Amino acid sequence: MDKKKSSKLVNFVTNPKYLMVLATIGIFLVIYGAGILMYGDRGFSKLRTFMMLFVDNAYIGISAVGMTMVLITGGIDLSVAAVASLTGMFIAYGTTVLGLDPVLCMAFSILVGVLLGLGMGALVTYLKIPPFVATLTGMFLARGVCSLISRESISINNELIDKMAGWKMYFMKYSGGEWVKIKPVAYINLNVVIFIVMIIIGTIILQKTRFGRNVYAVGGNEQSARLMGLPVDKTKMMVYGFNGFCSALAGIAYALYVKSGWNLALQGGELDVISAAVIGGVLLSGGVGYMIGTFFGVLLKAVIPSLITFNGTLSSWWGKIITGALVLLFVALQQIVMHGKIFKKKSDPSHKKE
Amino acid sequence: MKGIEIQFPGVKALDGVDFSLRRGEVHALLGENGAGKSTLIKCLTGVNKMDAGKITLEGKEIRPTDPKNAMDLGISTVFQEINLCDNLSVAENIFIGRQPIRRGQIDWKEINRRSQELLERFKIHIDVTRPLSQYSTAIQQMVSIARAVDVDAKVLILDEPTSSLDNEEVKRLFDVMRDLKAQGMGIIFITHFLDQVFEMSDRLTVLRNGHLIGVYNANEITKLELVSSMIGKDLDEIFDLKRATQKPDAKMMLEADHIGVPGKVEDISFNQKQGELLGFAGLLGSGRTETAEMLFGVTKMQNGDLKVAGIPIKIGEPMDAINHKIAFCPEDRKRDGIIGDLTIRENIALALQARRGMMKPMSRKEQDELADKYIKMLSIATPDAEKKIKELSGGNQQKVILARWMATEPDLLILDEPTRCIDVGAKAEIHRLMLQMCEEGMSIIFISSELDEIIRCSNRIIVMRDGKKAGELSGENCTQADIMRIIAGEKDGETA
Repeated sequence: MDKKKSSKLVNFVTNPKYLMVLATIGIFLVIYGAGILMYGDRGFSKLRTFMMLFVDNAYIGISAVGMTMVLITGGIDLSVAAVASLTGMFIAYGTTVLGLDPVLCMAFSILVGVLLGLGMGALVTYLKIPPFVATLTGMFLARGVCSLISRESISINNELIDKMAGWKMYFMKYSGGEWVKIKPVAYINLNVVIFIVMIIIGTIILQKTRFGRNVYAVGGNEQSARLMGLPVDKTKMMVYGFNGFCSALAGIAYALYVKSGWNLALQGGELDVISAAVIGGVLLSGGVGYMIGTFFGVLLKAVIPSLITFNGTLSSWWGKIITGALVLLFVALQQIVMHGKIFKKKSDPSHKKE
Repeated sequence: MKGIEIQFPGVKALDGVDFSLRRGEVHALLGENGAGKSTLIKCLTGVNKMDAGKITLEGKEIRPTDPKNAMDLGISTVFQEINLCDNLSVAENIFIGRQPIRRGQIDWKEINRRSQELLERFKIHIDVTRPLSQYSTAIQQMVSIARAVDVDAKVLILDEPTSSLDNEEVKRLFDVMRDLKAQGMGIIFITHFLDQVFEMSDRLTVLRNGHLIGVYNANEITKLELVSSMIGKDLDEIFDLKRATQKPDAKMMLEADHIGVPGKVEDISFNQKQGELLGFAGLLGSGRTETAEMLFGVTKMQNGDLKVAGIPIKIGEPMDAINHKIAFCPEDRKRDGIIGDLTIRENIALALQARRGMMKPMSRKEQDELADKYIKMLSIATPDAEKKIKELSGGNQQKVILARWMATEPDLLILDEPTRCIDVGAKAEIHRLMLQMCEEGMSIIFISSELDEIIRCSNRIIVMRDGKKAGELSGENCTQADIMRIIAGEKDGETA
């Protein structure tokens, strides 16, 4: 019985489908563990530090949910940061300058995000424009509109937004007969909730729905998917639409995080999102990737600047260098695992011996 | 199907072809490459649109718009090239697009269970949760058949389903086909293995150049009659092949002494004279292709010594081999051979250009002459040399690759399954070309799964088994049984 269980575990670990995700989780645990060993006395081991990884990176994570799907179809979306920035602009300008209802502004932003996503999806799907180019045009468009609205940073002054941004759920402990906040204070805010909910939704879509499986099939072999009778075009459209939704949602989260709108906000942010997904084991050539991998990819990418802050002597640019190294490591790993000998056994003798 | 017509720019691909399929019958569709078999199938599955004619299924007229639509109507297809997603698990490949849903979610347990059951019917026992890419082409082929069989179709189309299967697997497939037939399914069976046609089918339809040649009952026509109706040539011409004559004073071309790559092929020794055609027989995965790849430097030879024309050489990469005037046509022409978007001319000039180096580009005129020469010599069916190679039929693509290597004028040409998936006529043509080149002094290594063509062409035959050389026969007086005995030989010993 036990033997059967352990062989199942071995099977799980060696299954290349999961290898990349396990690598991400493993490396995260190693780096985080190393951080605790080195800077535990300065508070790195505290729950607060861990939760701040979430709070400071939730918007990247939200966007990465949509990006993961796009990457699995074999596409890419360079417009996410620009769309998020545009969303922030809509909210800031709408609420603060025009005095509109913030809920209306958010709904409008999401609508625009989805429409932009669908538009780029249509370029990719029906006009067969490479995703890189199609979304690049989307990125310029969104940035351009941003600057059209305002070239100054607009800080947001709105009661509801303040309330949403200020909402926090503290971690409590039971001590001396009453619940008290743990010290140092650890909390999660609305953004973290959205991030985690989106990861869960993303997982359910990818693993539990036909649409999600079609996403994998399209990324694996589009031609085959078509011949198997799968709705390839519809799937691609929906993926880009969903990513537009995620970009806008990330924009809302970012607006809550910085409480302002700025036309140059999140410059290069799309690369942060893509690298988080890649570090999380999503294959850039499509067909492979998991939401849980992306989740840990975001955390792994977040823990590095945090470590550098704790070190105190290193230049913060080391964060970029290490992130670059990690992306390189994962892309190399993907090549080895996916195209190397581990993945391709020329013939499998198991069926021949009865 | 009645009076189907399809027109492509310039050519009429199908001209008034009628085709009928009864319930519970296996109907073979035969014809040379480019005869219109695939086009006919594409009409049935909605990939191509018909210009005229109509299709009726169970008395009702249907017009499939795409494969999905055809599938819904009850027409299920296994295409010639494996059309699966190899990033997905085996089980998922069988069920994607029609996954069982339980409580709003995909029921993975059910998928895996049913896939396992389905594959048991084919006597395949594999872990269905693993990615498809981990398994051999043969298994992938079986999986795609399993998928098609499971969709509860009325009509099943199998386009060259057996080309990557070994005999045992073919037998299993045939068992399943008989089951389905007994259940009342109509099966359209396209293959170039004539033995299989006679073994399995009830009726045969023969196409040639987009025309219907005839419909026959399988037990009322002989193999020879069938072949002649397919290619419309005199039979004598096809079967009258003379083996290349061996000049007694021919120099030694290749001497291999215990060469091998640990884990793949080991301990291979053989020699080959100039102008000799050396056949390599053996089962799929017996080490034939691996030997060829080793000789060409695709995989690095690690043990043993190799001599070319008496001089010891080392081959570490394909460029070394090319420099020693060795050329190699790989097995999977789609993956390793052709560059689909380049023209015939460019594909032919490719290897020669590579050998001349970047510094000495070929002029357009040279290229044109080269291309024209080989198009004529190999009678490649194309309007001109500027056609993209992916628009040619399989046999013609193979000829282009052959031309590419012939253009480099190699001393040793390695052909790995050059006749795979091409029809009898084109096959005979390729055989003729090989022998002609041998007469002219080229040495050829000819790898094939089809024993009769190996026997017909080779001067000597090397039989491979489990990554080792299992035996060597003279081509003159050996029979299929001799080869099979060697292939089977030690297998019996193993089990005993």
